[in-house]
Amino acid sequence: MEINKVSDFKKKSIFFKVSEVLVTMASKPSGFIGLSILVFHILLAFLSPYLAPYDFKAIDPTLMLQAPSSEYWFGTDSLGRDVFTRTIMGGRTALTITFFGSLIALLWGGLLGIFCGLVGGKIDDVVMRVVDAFLSIPWILAMLLIVSLLGTSTEVLIPALGFFYGKGIVRVARAATHDVIAKDFIVSARARGHSNLSIIWNEIIPNVRDAILVEGAMRWSWMLLGFSSLSFLGFGVSPPTPDWGLMISNARGLMSFAYWAVIAPIVGLSSLIIGINLTADAFAKALGIDRSTKAPV
Amino acid sequence: MKNIIKLISVSLISLLVTFSSANASSGVFKLSHDLGFGKDTNLDAITKGRLFQVVIMTQNRLVRKNLDGVTSPELATDWSGNSDATEWTFNLRKGVKFHDGSDFDAEDVKYSLMRVKDPDIGSPAKKSMSSVTDIEVVDSHTVKMKLNTSFADFPLLLTDYRLRMIPSGSGDTIGQTGIGTGPFIVEKFDAEGTTILKANPDYWEGAPGLAEVHVIAIPDGEARVQALLTGQIDMNRYVPFAQKKIFDGNSKFKTTVVPTGNWRGMVMRTDTAPFDNPKVRKAVRMAVDRQELVDLVMGGAATVSCDTPVAPSDQYRLDMDCSQDINGAKKLLSEAGYPNGIEMTIHVSTKEPTWPTIAEVMQQQLAKAGIKADIQMTPSKSYWKETWMKKAVAMTRWNERPADSILHEAYHSGAKWNESFYKSASFDKNLADARGELDFGKRKKAYQNAQKTLWEEAGTMIPYHVSKLVVTSSRVKNLDEVEVFSVRWHKVQVD
Repeated sequence: MEINKVSDFKKKSIFFKVSEVLVTMASKPSGFIGLSILVFHILLAFLSPYLAPYDFKAIDPTLMLQAPSSEYWFGTDSLGRDVFTRTIMGGRTALTITFFGSLIALLWGGLLGIFCGLVGGKIDDVVMRVVDAFLSIPWILAMLLIVSLLGTSTEVLIPALGFFYGKGIVRVARAATHDVIAKDFIVSARARGHSNLSIIWNEIIPNVRDAILVEGAMRWSWMLLGFSSLSFLGFGVSPPTPDWGLMISNARGLMSFAYWAVIAPIVGLSSLIIGINLTADAFAKALGIDRSTKAPV
Repeated sequence: MKNIIKLISVSLISLLVTFSSANASSGVFKLSHDLGFGKDTNLDAITKGRLFQVVIMTQNRLVRKNLDGVTSPELATDWSGNSDATEWTFNLRKGVKFHDGSDFDAEDVKYSLMRVKDPDIGSPAKKSMSSVTDIEVVDSHTVKMKLNTSFADFPLLLTDYRLRMIPSGSGDTIGQTGIGTGPFIVEKFDAEGTTILKANPDYWEGAPGLAEVHVIAIPDGEARVQALLTGQIDMNRYVPFAQKKIFDGNSKFKTTVVPTGNWRGMVMRTDTAPFDNPKVRKAVRMAVDRQELVDLVMGGAATVSCDTPVAPSDQYRLDMDCSQDINGAKKLLSEAGYPNGIEMTIHVSTKEPTWPTIAEVMQQQLAKAGIKADIQMTPSKSYWKETWMKKAVAMTRWNERPADSILHEAYHSGAKWNESFYKSASFDKNLADARGELDFGKRKKAYQNAQKTLWEEAGTMIPYHVSKLVVTSSRVKNLDEVEVFSVRWHKVQVD
């Protein structure tokens, strides 16, 4: 009975903490706007297949480059496809791939960073130099190499993006760990003879979690921009899947006379990135983290 | 009085200067190329990596097409064949000099054409010269070409854009020097940067109107359009029709629509499953709606082709009906053992700006016949080296050639650029018969039979021959409105 009560209390505390953070985030105008945009995009990603007025892949020579009208709200593209339909569906793949990509980046980057920060010494030196070496490679070149060799399927893109965007997280997680390992509770845990794994899990992660989560949220928006760049170059989403980067690429040559085909995906992409950035900012402030130092204030 | 004489003489001199400078070459004309062969790019017209934008300005052929597309003299002044068309005598133009100062004569013709047959060079133009067994130097300005077969259209073969005359013995250096008898001289060759050509004042057709030509490497199609818009180049012969509106009504540019024998296509390798089955290849070709491709991709500015590479204006072209036939395609696929359709990956790049769009439209058309096509983008810089003739399905594009040349080069069993690895004894025989046939009617029938065979079993789907949208900046004058290989470059001027 007593035990049940305790666990109930624990569950509630997590729920309360999350809602408390969300309320704090939404209490500032920038946080509120960011959260609204993000929630709007996520809802759109889920609902767009049911909301779309036309078939996103139906081509029609008689409808090429129609200007916006009551029938085609955002006009049509050079193959006669409805731009509104393609725009509201254009974020689905990008959001999905980059969300899971960010999770992978957080997981491997965070854990490796914490581990290096904790053990230090030669292992830390070697791992960090390897990370530095990878940081010096322009990610887009490396990504292009990977997708030209392995193709652009989701199974390739998610781990590849997760890997390249995780490199930066290693550094952040390591620095955050350095801030806590000198603290007394780590020293006592060591004195009690706890294993590294146990120290990481029970002592370090709860103390660096917030800093890494905020970093992860930021990486998400960067990854979104990076993924859209890949699509823009034709190496991201394969046609006919609607994708903002690909839509911008296809319509950019027509910009001077068919602006609608390029403006809609640009607004979609930039609003989502702004939304994620504002949300990450508000998230950091709500957790009491100064994003310029990534340290608790 | 002294002052009056001074004034008159000064005016006379300035008048003289004005007149003489009006006749001199002036201005810089800038154009671009796509660096399609990367580091292999060179100025030897008969090699795979030939930078044709340069060699067409620095070197001449014996025979060219005039502005009406008729075979006409270039470095040969006239020619005649013997009674069975196995020997052809060409009289050469006298007083023509190469850029290095040496005289152009019969030895140079023999050298230039015989090296095309050199197996060590492995020229893609080899097939055009395959019927020539020997070239006899009759005198300093007469050559006799001996063929192993009757070939009534032989002079037409010599209009091939690669069969350029170079100085005898210059084979080892021609790739860098580009020396010829043409209106422009290579001053600096930089394949990956800017190649600079300067006017040849002694050109046999008269001094060029331009002082310099800059040929700039810009691998990306979209970037070339931007380069034209910003004035970085003066001419772009690869502007997609979808972008015509950008230039229409803009006084800074001039647009011209030129019908051509250039084509775009999709190659299915006939040695790779499931395309090793002719029924599968035909099913894919039947599922394509060519007219829709013409309308969507080219804005209507192209001529539908039923998988024949022969130009719409060519006398041997086979015209037939090849409307989309989804049921027929499905039936063929079931007969081939694929009742549930097939999956394929079309490899594209932005090397040719319309490739991704063609693939995207075809993807929807093929889906109706149960053919699931994925589109895979590949790097444009290495497309010809790494993707074309390597992947099972890839996009292609060819420039106009005479019927006999294109049929040999892209489909003959022994051709170097047989991109679909197509091998057909009956097709090869039709080509051989056509070459040996003196009667025009019978010759035409043989060429058309060869094209019929292609419709039945070829690996290359050719939806249309493009009309070319040529956009120049309005400062360009006297540019002939014909395909690029017939342009008389010495006439071009810039303001």
